[in-house]
Amino acid sequence: MVASTAEVVTEDRDLFQKQEVGSSAYTARHNGQMFEEGLSFSGNERDKLFMNRGDGTFADLSNVSGADSVNDGRAVIATDFDDDGDVDLFVHNIQRERHGLYRNELGQSYGGFVKVKLRATRSQYEAIGAQVTVGAEHGPVTQILSRGAGFVSCQVPELVFGLGAAPQATLEVRWPTGEVESFGTVTANERVLLVEGAGRAEPYAALPRPLPDPLPAGLRLSVGETVPVFAMLDPDENEVLVDPVALADGKPLYLNFWGSTCVSCVVELPDLQALEDAGDVKVVGLSMDAPADMHRAWELFGKRGASFPCYFIGAPKQEGRASLQEIVDLERLPIPTTLVLSPSGVIEKIIRGPVNSPH
Amino acid sequence: MISSSGRRLVLSALVIAGIAVYIFVSKRSQPEPTASVEEEQSSGVVVTLPTEIKIEDPEVPIELVEQVEDNTEEVANRLLDFSDKLRRRDFTSARTWFTDDFAGHGLAGLPVQDKRTDRVDSKVVSFDASAAPILSADDFTEALRDLMGPWSRVESVLWKTKGAEFQALGKKRWGKIKLFISMMGAGADDEPITISGWAYARAVKIRGEWMFDRFKLTSLSEARRSATIFSDVTAAAGVARSGIRFGQPGNNSFAWNGSAGGDVDGDGRWDLFCTGPASNVLYMASESGHFGEEAKARGVARPGGGTGALFFDFENDGDQDLFVGQVGWRESNGKLGGLNLQAYLNEGNGRFETKSDDLGFDEPGVLYSLTAFDYDNDGFIDMFGCGYGRVEVEHNNSWTQATNGSPNALYHNRGGERFEEVAESAGLLGTDWTYAAAAADVDLDGDADLYLANDYGSNRLMRNNGDGTFTDVADQYGITDKGNGMGVSFGDLDNDGGLDLYVSNMSSTAGNRILGRLEEDIDSEIFKMLKKLAAGNSIFLAGEQSFEKLPKDAGGVGASWAWSAALADYDLDGRLDVFCTNGFVTGDLPHDT
Repeated sequence: MVASTAEVVTEDRDLFQKQEVGSSAYTARHNGQMFEEGLSFSGNERDKLFMNRGDGTFADLSNVSGADSVNDGRAVIATDFDDDGDVDLFVHNIQRERHGLYRNELGQSYGGFVKVKLRATRSQYEAIGAQVTVGAEHGPVTQILSRGAGFVSCQVPELVFGLGAAPQATLEVRWPTGEVESFGTVTANERVLLVEGAGRAEPYAALPRPLPDPLPAGLRLSVGETVPVFAMLDPDENEVLVDPVALADGKPLYLNFWGSTCVSCVVELPDLQALEDAGDVKVVGLSMDAPADMHRAWELFGKRGASFPCYFIGAPKQEGRASLQEIVDLERLPIPTTLVLSPSGVIEKIIRGPVNSPH
Repeated sequence: MISSSGRRLVLSALVIAGIAVYIFVSKRSQPEPTASVEEEQSSGVVVTLPTEIKIEDPEVPIELVEQVEDNTEEVANRLLDFSDKLRRRDFTSARTWFTDDFAGHGLAGLPVQDKRTDRVDSKVVSFDASAAPILSADDFTEALRDLMGPWSRVESVLWKTKGAEFQALGKKRWGKIKLFISMMGAGADDEPITISGWAYARAVKIRGEWMFDRFKLTSLSEARRSATIFSDVTAAAGVARSGIRFGQPGNNSFAWNGSAGGDVDGDGRWDLFCTGPASNVLYMASESGHFGEEAKARGVARPGGGTGALFFDFENDGDQDLFVGQVGWRESNGKLGGLNLQAYLNEGNGRFETKSDDLGFDEPGVLYSLTAFDYDNDGFIDMFGCGYGRVEVEHNNSWTQATNGSPNALYHNRGGERFEEVAESAGLLGTDWTYAAAAADVDLDGDADLYLANDYGSNRLMRNNGDGTFTDVADQYGITDKGNGMGVSFGDLDNDGGLDLYVSNMSSTAGNRILGRLEEDIDSEIFKMLKKLAAGNSIFLAGEQSFEKLPKDAGGVGASWAWSAALADYDLDGRLDVFCTNGFVTGDLPHDT
């Protein structure tokens, strides 16, 4: 396709030369031509995480990072948002899901931390540009307090240093004036304010604010929201409207997302049937199987002794009618996932994994 | 009459000729070894499987680049549609991409060749591709079902065309395709799994559609970890904002992507400001770990359309003020349109007053990233704005050293009362297409120098001369990093106490794919552009008055179209790591340029 990229470029230039200088239509046309129809250009590229191996090489751990969004990221703010000692991430994308907040789950599994705030006295107090060096067994590591670096990103005025297994570390600051000052030794997992000229680190208190647990990927509704009536196929491939309130029949409703290739989904079908049979709740299955596989799935459903209602994806889109896509992103939702609804269709609980042994 | 000895001679000659012909014929056709397995396919066709998968190179390959690329693009798009079927785990449909006489290496059940543990206990398993079972089309797709079926979700599947050669002669249209395959998802316990590898496939065009009749695996590996390193808490924490797709009316500028972190209300928690198309967003952190959107209530919602944003204390009155870059434009009458840089002054309580008109921002620029630093050490924080190009007026006049970028701005903070724009006298005006900057005292002489990442050209290290002027010394320091600079960050990546340099650049798969093919026969200017498109990020390690580029194979730089990098120690092991945003524009269609 680069032949055509080159063509586009040439064409762009030709057209550009024909256009009058100052044509504000140019930008719109330029962007429009490429992207209006939904074409990608270096699209579907995931954000990257490279972990320093300490031997001069880096491991590309993007795939297991959990922060490898396929969205087109631009700005990033890396800081300890929840004050648990590790560095979390906030990413700003150009479209769709515009913002991403990623909670670091490593904690102190691979090392302790020192958090540093600075106050300069011989230059502007925020100490922008100060270089802080933490020394421990793995050698010194230097970070700069910077506001405005990367691309359109402004980091917060706090530095987080990892200590590995070191119980303590030395602290040194090169202040914006160029003066170098030692702050002696700090112990692991301390938060310290370094005031220029004080020569001694001043601890400050933790201010924990735990970030909430994640919702299942791809779920578009959260607890407290109402599940609308939506279109699905029944096992005979007829379109049906799934009405949570009607199906609940005055009882709590378990909406179970499952798939025939998902082992734990198939294993728990009898448990779900038992729940239905006990009579206190209603259970409805929503198969995520591809339309080509729905008969196979339906057969398996019966073989596992399940007889509660089960519906399938593949109902055609229609104006003014909700589809399952408005509730979940089918490609991203992990299964099994079960939404527990009130009789009035409000999500009261989200169960990730099998209902009897949730994650 | 031929003598008996003469007859023997003729016979011998015939035998030799026959052997030669046999050798010639067998060399040409290379029949596959005797089939050992017969299998009936779902279609009813009985297929005999070879004992070895061979995909020959086209004898007479298509040479014309445009034709090769047209064919490649067709095959690449076919494979993306196939990828989409796999992503939906629609294995039954995926089967239809293969001919009934298909034979290929299955991707499940391969013997393990090597296992290793990498950082933070991530596991990498390499499989022995040479021992992969040879399967029919039915069994090949069933093996994919075995592989991905048990996953709790499939995040993505990409079978990407990395190279292709097509046969020019003959009735049958076919080609040998080099593939990178990747399947990402989460296992039954939500543990991240990525299976990736390299393969060759033979594509044959049957009734106008590319199908596949051979698949030869050359490598396969699996990366996994017991859980992801980060959890996506966007929606749970209240910072989910969905925006319209890029390219649609209302979202067609590259500008609105900045973020700034800071403590807006002095409660010790990090709040977040983000620029947006129509209005901005201010997420205020609460003690519960949730964020509340309060841009309007706190007076920073308007105007939208900003680029880079900065928090710092402009007046030294103890609170964080906010500055937002704007991208203006030139009207057809030559006048400048758009907004000046926007200033929001903190009233001390986390509410802001808009002050832009009185502070000395008197001309709309084309400012992307902003950088705060006190360049003259006068105790008041100054601000640098990166001037990009006026794309509505003219394109970059060179792909490698464009000189028609719009000016940078250096706003000298005059005692916390106003700014004075002094880029020209400071020698920072520039003609580059500057996207990003980072300030650091690189030469350790007690004042802040400035590194500029430029699109379509060389980057610059503007050394602070200590007298209000700057001089470019990037060449001397070995950090021009000619290419398409998108971002820059400083951090000590080799634990020697010195600040190293991380530069984000852009790089594209398509650029890489065709680069080799085009070198000889295309216009050199376009070739140069393509070469830039294929470049990656750069790590420069600081030495004495110079930097040394870390070789590419050390890793850490293999992003694609990279933007902002954040250097931090994400596993707290005492070494700085790199997180880098990535990707230019993702459309609705899976197809890519």
